[in-house]
Amino acid sequence: MKRKIVTTAALLVIASQSTFAEHKGIKLPHMEFPMAKGEGMYATKGMCNMCHSWGYTINQGKQSKAFWRKKVRKMIDVFHAPIKDEDVEVAVTYLFAHYGNGKEE
Amino acid sequence: MQRREFFKTTAILAGSAALTNVDAAEQVEITQPIDNRPVADIAFPQKQPLITHSDRPPLLETPRKVFAHPITPNDLFFVRWHMPLIPTYINPHAFEITIDGLVNNPLRLSIDDLKKRFEAVEITAVMQCGGNSRSAFHPTAGGIQWGVGAMGCAKWKGARLKDILAAAGLKPGAAWLTLDGAEKPVYNQTDDFKRALEIDRITDDMIVAYEMNGEALPYLNGFPVRLILPGIYADSWMKMLRRITVTAKEPHLHFMEHAYRIPDNDCECELPDKLYPKTKPIEKMNVKSLIGFPENGARIRKDTEMIVRGVAFDGGDGIARVDISTDGGATWQEATLDDGKAGRYAFRAFRYAFTPTQMGEIRIMARATNTKGETQPFAHEVKWNRGGYKFNGIDEVRVEVIT
Ligand code: HEC
Repeated sequence: MKRKIVTTAALLVIASQSTFAEHKGIKLPHMEFPMAKGEGMYATKGMCNMCHSWGYTINQGKQSKAFWRKKVRKMIDVFHAPIKDEDVEVAVTYLFAHYGNGKEE
Repeated sequence: MQRREFFKTTAILAGSAALTNVDAAEQVEITQPIDNRPVADIAFPQKQPLITHSDRPPLLETPRKVFAHPITPNDLFFVRWHMPLIPTYINPHAFEITIDGLVNNPLRLSIDDLKKRFEAVEITAVMQCGGNSRSAFHPTAGGIQWGVGAMGCAKWKGARLKDILAAAGLKPGAAWLTLDGAEKPVYNQTDDFKRALEIDRITDDMIVAYEMNGEALPYLNGFPVRLILPGIYADSWMKMLRRITVTAKEPHLHFMEHAYRIPDNDCECELPDKLYPKTKPIEKMNVKSLIGFPENGARIRKDTEMIVRGVAFDGGDGIARVDISTDGGATWQEATLDDGKAGRYAFRAFRYAFTPTQMGEIRIMARATNTKGETQPFAHEVKWNRGGYKFNGIDEVRVEVIT
């Protein structure tokens, strides 16, 4: 009898644990959004992959030089990205070379 | 000349004609959104593999075929975060929502409090990103280049926002809520993602939800609680809602003033080189429909019945009818709607049985009309705005009829 009570109590503990141990949380997978190789890649990586993935950037598709320049400026002016003015063109040139549509404007 | 050859030549000619134009400002053109992206080979937690635009923050899009059904399963529901730092563990027994500011009794409510102290309300409602289908806009509008699937419809259960505010007791002059969730920017100079809601606009349908389709919310959809604002675009449906602060004055918030805004004119439109100076929040959803089956590129047999299925919705006035065209919009036939019992904020499923009798490509379109008589324009008639918001062009899929 005693033994039975112990087992029941143990079962209760297990049961209550299973309702309470709902979750250990999640683990977000890393996904590769490879950057096109070329001049300015590492510099751009340093500037652009700090706050979000490269996927977020290239999701825009192929764009004009002016478009990329505006985007980089937006990151600085709106989201306070710590990008030096003199580095802007490095990123713009790299972006346009590999993710450009050939148009300046 | 062979028919094929002829098409090729015209295409090249059209191409070169377009080329001579490139130095002029890019022409405004609204097309069908991008619809050929595959799902990723990696599944995010509690999700099936979805179209993955980014992993930090996670941006996951629901594939078209899911919209053949009026409820979007939790593991297929789209995901949109603004900031990459999302809590990956929340203890539901320690989690609290704070209600403070202009209230008589500031509250700290646990999930249990929400369930026990307040009447549980269930509502089936569409959640849609204001930028859903943004890839339809050319030149490219700022933001994620979503295809058709930054939306879904779930049955939500939770406590009324009104009841929670009543328990806190609004002080005279209380007029605005600031909503804050648990996501954080990586860089401490970037503004936090917070949203504002005017107290006058709160309805009985707005709830703080702890259940989605009968389960706890997936983490990526805002576990353990998120705000549900039926009829309104998803930008203020705060995920992992942590704090509601009541104020008399409208708060100044970066993401209210810089995002989710459209031109404040009748057409809600502008031109890329002539942006309209005054803007307003996107707010109420316009009437829209989407074909879930067939998908673009499907091959169907001649003389074989197929059932076109999809969903229609609007900002809560209710869908009155959906019409289908199988000839690229020349003629329209009324589709059959479901019983509508899921309510005026839910996806209304439609179906239309159709037997193709001719071979070749056909263009199938769906056009919804709501109870106010508002309907969808053709995609090419949609007007451009810089944020690429509120696309509701008539949906179109191209399928091939074979023997
Ligand atoms: C300080 C942080 C930060 C840095 C550094 C940064 N971004 Fe961003 N970026 C953001 C935030 C925040 C968003 C918008 C999040 C939102 O609205 O959900 C964003 C959004 C974007 C978007 C989406 C489209 C849009 O208009 O919002 C693009 C494209 C983009 N960034 C490109 C870049 C590029 C290119 C760089 C490097 C030159 C860069 N970002 C560096 C913070 C940053």
